[in-house]
Amino acid sequence: MTTIVGIKTKEGVVLGSDKRASKGFFIGSKITQKIAKVDDTLAVAIAGQLSDAEYLIKVAKAERKLIELRRGFSLTTKESARLIANLAYSGLKNYQPYFVELLVAGVDQEGGHIYAADMSGAITSEDFASSGSGSPIAYGVLESMYHKEITNEQAQAVATKAVAAAMERDPGSGNGIEVLAIPNVLATVEVKK
Amino acid sequence: MAETGGGGANFAAGGRYPYYYGPEGRLVLVDSALEAVNRGSTTIGIKTPAFALLASHIKPVRPLIDPAEKIFVVDGHVGATGSGYIGDILQLIDELRLEAQKHRLNFESPIDVGSLAKHLGSFLHNYTVYTVRPQAASVIIAGVDQTGVQLYQVDPSGTFFRGSGFAIGKSSDIALDVIQREYSADMSIEQAAALSNKGIEKALGERPVVEIGVVSAKDGRRFQKLP
Repeated sequence: MTTIVGIKTKEGVVLGSDKRASKGFFIGSKITQKIAKVDDTLAVAIAGQLSDAEYLIKVAKAERKLIELRRGFSLTTKESARLIANLAYSGLKNYQPYFVELLVAGVDQEGGHIYAADMSGAITSEDFASSGSGSPIAYGVLESMYHKEITNEQAQAVATKAVAAAMERDPGSGNGIEVLAIPNVLATVEVKK
Repeated sequence: MAETGGGGANFAAGGRYPYYYGPEGRLVLVDSALEAVNRGSTTIGIKTPAFALLASHIKPVRPLIDPAEKIFVVDGHVGATGSGYIGDILQLIDELRLEAQKHRLNFESPIDVGSLAKHLGSFLHNYTVYTVRPQAASVIIAGVDQTGVQLYQVDPSGTFFRGSGFAIGKSSDIALDVIQREYSADMSIEQAAALSNKGIEKALGERPVVEIGVVSAKDGRRFQKLP
């Protein structure tokens, strides 16, 4: 169930989600938060088992903070995605997989990044991505509207449209849309120097 | 009183930690390790914003024996050298290599030099806590990471320093004097190599055989041994 989308822009990254949490054929919640902000430069969109995802994000959050304190600068988006993927992979190999599909979105010195991470422990870097039961529908919108020069503002509109389209036809998605844009503060600071 | 086994000087005075502390409150085992380092081959590290250079004196050996390697690649972007017991140095280098590869596994990125120095520091510190032999080796680590060119020295006590010029081993104070006097932040790799040679030569009073390794901020950012 669920529809989540992530779009890489030239100004950062944008995440979008619906708000429905399903319990089989029952709508368990209509106000679910599926976009979790790890800190000012990283957020994760959740599809799948909410409890598993929350746990992974909590660990990633703690680990990121710890590393930042220890080495003096924070993890890149790729490093964070790999950290989460390693947790997922060790879960899989211990026969206790985390039933999640995550979109890890963040900004670092190199700009914005979207990584798709799943329970197998694989991560792929994407320009845009979608996950959850509504993703085939959302992808239709993303495929036709994404372009490399997209801005955060345009991407927010595309993300909204993609999730809205999925909500129209996917019974697992609905009850409203949430969008988060992360501006590329780190890279712009770097350019100014 | 019953024999309780080889205590330090403080033991007779009723000290609580007979194995560790000497009469002046110093860690006698660590002091001994440092003393061993001070008898090791003279070794130098120099850093500028553009590059970091490691140089180590190769002690002359018998004609049929190959001299030991003294400059080590830790990971593509990091190198290290040391002074003290070569066996201990080798162990510490391996610990660094292991940590560098662990970081690549965990985060899919090269480790930063500060984390390596910190790890080696805590690894060595462990040997000062128990009644074991502290590692008789100081290590100088040079590398490039997200924050630029880095140079660290790590001592047997677990203490580590970040800086632009280090000297360890035999007569290292004399070598460091030479480096301090003639160091300049805009010198070239060739000039730094010449300076480290001069430092070692001054310290030993003879023309030395020196092994050198360099890592620079530009072109490739890889640590390489100079031929």
